[in-house]
Amino acid sequence: MKYFDGLNYYEILKIPENSSFLEIKQAYRDAVSIYGEDSLVTYSLFSTDEREKILKIIEAAFFTLIDGNQRAAYDRMLVDSGQSDTTFISGQSQKQSEPVFYPGKAADDDQLADDATIKNQADEEKQLSDEILSKSSVSGKDLKKLREALGVEIHEIHSLTRISVSVLNAIEENRLESLPPDTYLRNFLKLYAEVLQIDPLKIVDGYFKHISRVQNTD
Amino acid sequence: MTEIYPIGGGKGGVGKSFISASLGALIAKWGHNVVVIDLDLGASNLHTLLGMKSPKLGLNHYIDKTVRGLESVAVPTMIPNLFFISSFHCSMEIANLLHAHKLKIISAIQKLPFDYILLDLGTGTNFNTLDFFLTSKEGILIGTPEPTSIENFFRFINTVYFRILKQTLKRSEFHSAVKDAVTEMSGATGGTHDILKIVSKYHPDKVTDLKNKLSEFKFKLILNQFRKNMDSTLGNKIETVCNRHFHSNFQFVGNIGYDGQIHDAVYSKTLYVHKYPHTQSSNDLKKIAKKITGNRRPTSLPKEIS
Repeated sequence: MKYFDGLNYYEILKIPENSSFLEIKQAYRDAVSIYGEDSLVTYSLFSTDEREKILKIIEAAFFTLIDGNQRAAYDRMLVDSGQSDTTFISGQSQKQSEPVFYPGKAADDDQLADDATIKNQADEEKQLSDEILSKSSVSGKDLKKLREALGVEIHEIHSLTRISVSVLNAIEENRLESLPPDTYLRNFLKLYAEVLQIDPLKIVDGYFKHISRVQNTD
Repeated sequence: MTEIYPIGGGKGGVGKSFISASLGALIAKWGHNVVVIDLDLGASNLHTLLGMKSPKLGLNHYIDKTVRGLESVAVPTMIPNLFFISSFHCSMEIANLLHAHKLKIISAIQKLPFDYILLDLGTGTNFNTLDFFLTSKEGILIGTPEPTSIENFFRFINTVYFRILKQTLKRSEFHSAVKDAVTEMSGATGGTHDILKIVSKYHPDKVTDLKNKLSEFKFKLILNQFRKNMDSTLGNKIETVCNRHFHSNFQFVGNIGYDGQIHDAVYSKTLYVHKYPHTQSSNDLKKIAKKITGNRRPTSLPKEIS
């Protein structure tokens, strides 16, 4: 039996060194689904002690990488100790906002089935984001639903984007009277969409359409 | 080139014989010469799943020297290109096969003139099953998505590892302390780690060799009796875990959907993939068979397009 000997936090979570916030979260969720106490995947493979040790390492990896400052320090340590090349330093080449959800980016069913790599949860998220992107207008409720499906907390969006929690809540609750001026709102929505890795243009357009629709019916 | 795939996985009732028969039939239909060998000595019933009566000729005639070559007891089946070696007439005593006979069978299997040789193994982790499994550096492991099956599945890998290491240690120069320690161990749980630890104490230079020995093996994983509401990522995750925590190469090759008609086919003693070629389960089996043959060209023309 091999454990995680000699692996760094990125390797333990099986993610590239420039992973985004969302990718780290998803990798952590995957790891827990594999190594968690109730997981069928590793049933009987480890003793209780071994499993606890493994979960502790996974948690340490997650909490270090999810925190901007700790991650930067960890990355520096990797570079300084020669475990990583200097071409990457967290924050510089770190992938900020590559959207993974686009409208009409349909999965190739045949290929998916052939590869036997269909992921239940990922499928659900894809379906939800497709549903949102296919709408001409996007409400705050839609955004909240997607955020929750992705397991992202509102305070996490706040700490990544510096948008105040009250504004984020106003956006999700469609409270028009509490929304900032359009130019700010446009930018905030873009940042919000980038964290959730969903097409920012569609979200900004959809949200503004939603607002004008609500205002017109008033 | 002959490819030998022992089909094992520990737990009984997970479908080893069913999958051996099905994959054999599909690969043969595509024009490859295939033999399936029933090595579940003492409990053989592969012939039933192939839709045939137990043949008169079998492995016992090779062991008792009624025939000279093992290929003479390979009988044709209802599928062209698919041959079958039965162990139906191997009496119960033969389940406790003599070591010399076992080696004779293994070496004869390795020389059989077929493109694909599938070995249907018995349940559990007794020495015969393990040694037959180690006829080849490649193997197919079958499980079902249930805790009991997953448990036996990991136990099977652990005992296979233990057997490989034990045999390697027996054959080469090792400190007697290592040999003694290993003799006392049982492969039931995590013996590999302990063996490697002892070896690293006395022969730190040989640990890598042993690990390399384990890394020569390639295992394909199949999950059978898969129901629609189950987590479809299970197989991929097990593959990930095995590749991370064992030393060999593991490849998940697919789920086989649960289908009540499979039981009907068994009851009516017919070959399922032949009788129901277009069901979900048959399609699943075809995809898996395709992954096993890859792009290899058949030796004869496919007899039937399906």
